This record gives sequence, structure tokens and C-alpha cells, in this order.
Amino acid sequence: MIDFFNYVQNDWDNIFAYTMEHLQLVSLAIVIAILIGVPLGIYLTTNKYLAETVLQVASIILTIPSIALFGIMIPILSIINQGIGFLPALIALVLYSQLPIIRNTYTAIQNVDPNIRDAAKGIGMTTFQRLTRVEIPNGMPLIMAGIRTATVLNIGIGAIAAFIGSGGLGVLINSGISRGNSNMVLAGAVFVSLLALVADFILKFIQKRVTSPGVK
Amino acid sequence: MIDFKNVTKIYGGEVKAVDDITMSVNEGEFVILLGPSGCGKTTLLRMVNQLETITDGEINVNGQNVKEMDKIKMRRNIGYVIQSNGLFPNMTIEKNTMIVPDLLGWDRKKKRDRFNYLMDLIGLNPDEYRKRYPHELSGGQQQRIGVARAMASDPPVMLMDEPFGALDPIIREKVQDEFLTIQKEVKKTILFVSHDIDEAVKMGDKISLLRQGQIMQYASPTEMLHRPKNDFVSEFIGKDRVLRSMSLYTVNDLVEALGLKSKEEDIQDTKEITIDTSLRVALSMLLNKEADELLITDDQGEAHGSLTFDLIETFINREVRGA
Ligand SMILES: Nc1ncnc2c1ncn2[C@@H]1O[C@H](COP(=O)(O)OP(=O)(O)O)[C@@H](O)[C@H]1O
Ligand SMILES: [Mg+2]
Repeated sequence: MIDFFNYVQNDWDNIFAYTMEHLQLVSLAIVIAILIGVPLGIYLTTNKYLAETVLQVASIILTIPSIALFGIMIPILSIINQGIGFLPALIALVLYSQLPIIRNTYTAIQNVDPNIRDAAKGIGMTTFQRLTRVEIPNGMPLIMAGIRTATVLNIGIGAIAAFIGSGGLGVLINSGISRGNSNMVLAGAVFVSLLALVADFILKFIQKRVTSPGVK
Repeated sequence: MIDFKNVTKIYGGEVKAVDDITMSVNEGEFVILLGPSGCGKTTLLRMVNQLETITDGEINVNGQNVKEMDKIKMRRNIGYVIQSNGLFPNMTIEKNTMIVPDLLGWDRKKKRDRFNYLMDLIGLNPDEYRKRYPHELSGGQQQRIGVARAMASDPPVMLMDEPFGALDPIIREKVQDEFLTIQKEVKKTILFVSHDIDEAVKMGDKISLLRQGQIMQYASPTEMLHRPKNDFVSEFIGKDRVLRSMSLYTVNDLVEALGLKSKEEDIQDTKEITIDTSLRVALSMLLNKEADELLITDDQGEAHGSLTFDLIETFINREVRGA
């Protein structure tokens, strides 16, 4: 244990740099995933047939082991000389985030009380006003829950992405294993968990800020 | 103001929910759509603000065919209240109430004044409720806010679908009374769905009694109670139609027809009521033995004499049965 703390203290600059790298990859992936997943989830509520297909595809993506997904992307992205590194890791994380984000957004909008939707229509809101003033605000807790799940998921998978050279805390784990340095592996694991905890805490705080007190 | 011409609604090519209905609601009139569950009341109502399409026939509001109007614009100009109040949980009471003025782009001052006015009208303190959320209000309060929201932009026409249906009987009576008082002041043209004959008799200027999408009788409550047009109508009104019709009269009507007795000295058990109390209430007080005689006073508190069970019976025989 003392060893571990000594290691962390001595190697702090490296650990901090890897954590920041990790954070950068995951945040960018989540932002892109939200920009794709939330509008898609909302759109799917207008097309039940497409919704089933898309949700199924997203579930299947989530079951592909991450190592395999990286393997598939290497030859494809090699065409543009990006077979390994940041880009394939980013794409993988965006893909993995889609299921929780799309599914939760879709469910959140679908679950809005039909009476409330009816009232919104009946008093003369346009489709867009209904969405922004009623459906999204009332579905906010579920939408945010999806984003939080995706974030925690991404922080974990982000560690595996180090295998294809995307950097981040996975590097500590990888080189720790190959050098037989258990403190290094432990540090990688601990900081991945810490990052996930802090990220979830911050997102919970954001969720509170963006959800109306009238919505439980 | 609202004209239905041979209006028919068929759902999915099979279910005939509304069957060739023709009727008119005049300006300032309070018309009840009455009938058993599934007879097409809601469908008929929702075709007016185009929440349902019209299969056949036409509906004109203020002489204009609803099909030719801009849906969004016309809905903002027609008040709409539903049973489950449909308040938006994410908005404060003020936001909820002022949603239509908001959509219409009113300025803040105008919205605030209107909110204060409406809250006073429905008997809730504007400053106390302004910042609260719907879930913090009782069912009765929520329903009143639902009504206030529908009246926010002062629409000439209101559509109300069993607005008080979810309330318990005592609160419902109270909210009904309040709404009648409000209606006396604002004089809206109202189409009001109900499955409760008592509510219909109490609230409506006219009742349109429906069965399987067709009108069985369209008449004033008095007319319907006294001259039911067919067996369905008399059955729907029920055996206690005489009792029902009592809510159409006030003590004052009896006083004008028969006068009152002077108070008998030996009767101890008396209770004071005002002259504008409905006869139905007076009768139930006597039947419940709350008093043997009711002392009638006017709003200045001046005594007019006393009302007994016998007097009411005479009135029923002369005015209600004899009519
Ligand atoms: N969206 C719908 N699709 C198919 N049938 C419907 C729909 N809405 C109502 N109906 C049917 O139309 C008839 C009238 O319904 P409704 O207008 O809701 O009656 P009420 O309000 O008098 O209870 C019923 O038989 C009902 O089952
Ligand atoms: Mg109905």
C-alpha cells in the first residue's frame, strides 16, 4: 500500500497527463454522442418501425467486444491513414454510447403523459414548441440518466482503447502488465474509477440544474 | 357561434363514433354534451378544435369552416380543458396559466396582470401560487388552474371535456358553483362534456343528449326533464327526475309562486338559509332532518318567513309535475 502511494507521488505528472488525455477522449466522444443520439432518439418517436430497427442495431453494437471493434476499424480507417490512434477510439466510444443515449431519449419522449401532450396540442403549440417546452423538459431525468450511463461506460472502454494507441489511463495498465509493475496497473484502475465517480457526480449536478423542480 | 352540419366521424373505416350530428351553439350559451360512456361526446368536441379530423359534414365556428382555419392559430383562440387537467409538470403555476399568452407573445406586464386577475377570479392567491408547481396543488386547485389556463387569452369559445370529472363530489359541487359564477361574469360560449345528468341540469343552458353518436334530444334542462322526447331520454334522466328538477329552482321561485309561512312558535328546530339557495339543497336539508323549518332570509339578512316540507311538496305538484 505504501508502495502504491509512493508510486503515485513519484509518477504524479505522468498519471495526471494520462488522466487528462482520457478525459479529453471521453468528453469529446460524449459530446458527439449526445449531438447524434438525442436528436435521433427524438426523431425515432415519430417512426415506430425505424425505432425498433435502430435500437436493435445499437444493442448489437454494444455487444461487440471492444477489442473486436477496434480490430474491425483498423483496416477501414487505414484507408485514410488513421488505422490506430485517437480517431478509431473516438468512433468506438461514440458508437458504444448510442444505445443508452438513444434508448433513454426515445423512452423519455414516449413516456410523456399522453394527456399532457394532448393539452399541449389543444392549446395550440406547434410540434417544435411541444418538444422544447413540454416533452424534453419532462423527459429530462431519463435523458440525463442515459447520458450518465454512457459516460461511465465510455470511461471504462476508453481504458481499453489504449491498445490501439489512443493514450489515456489504459496506457498505465498496459505497460504495467507488460513490465510486471502491479502498482502501475493499480494506479491506472484506481484513476479510471475515480474519473468515473467524479464525472457521474458532475453530471448529477448538471442534471439537477437542467431539470425543473416540478419534474420528479 | 358553433355550428355542426351533418357531422360524422368514423374511426379506422369502421367505428362510427359520431353519426350525422346537426346542432348549433349560440353565442354566450353553455351547452352540455351528455350521454353514456362511448357515445361520442369527446370525439364531437375534439373535432371542433381539430384534434380529430372530420370524416363527413362540416363545423363552423363564428361562421368559418374549421377545416379552412390555421390549426395552431384557431386552437390558441379556443379554450380547452380536459378531465386530467393536463397541466405541465415542468412549469410553475404562473407559466402554466400564461402559456397561451406566452405563445401569442404578450409582454410581461400584461401577462402578470392577467395572471393576477384570473387567480382572483378562481379564488386562489396569485402571489402564493405563482412559483409553485402543479404537483404541489390539490386536485381541485389543479382543475381550477386548468380552467384559468383555458381562459388566459380570453377566448370567446371554450371546449371542456369532463373538466370536473376527476374531483370528489363535495369539491366538484364547489368548483361547479365557482365556475357558474365566473361564467355569469365572462359569458363565454361553452361546449361542455359530461356523463352526469345532475351536472348537466345544474350547469347547462341546453343539453344535447347523445347515444351511439346520435342526438336523442337537444333542449333546455327544464324542457328535457319535463318533456323527454323518447324512452332513452326518460330512462337516462331516471326516476328521480322530479328531485333533479329541483336544482333548477331557487327558494325565491317558490316564494313568488306560493309565498312563505310565518314561523310557527312551537317549532324549535330551525335553520337560516338565503333566498337564492336552490330548492334541491333546501329539500335535502329538510329530508336530512337538519331542521324542521327553514328560515328564509335575503342577502340583507332580513327574514321572509319559513319554508316547510309541505310547502315544497305543494310547489312540486303545482310547478314541476303540472308543467
Ligand atoms: N382514436 C380512436 N380510435 C378508434 N376508436 C375510437 C378512438 N377514439 C374513440 N373511439 C371510439 O369512438 C367511440 C366514441 O368515443 P368517445 O368520443 O371517446 O366517447 P365518449 O367521450 O362519449 O365516452 C367509442 O366507441 C370509442 O371506442
Ligand atoms: Mg370522453
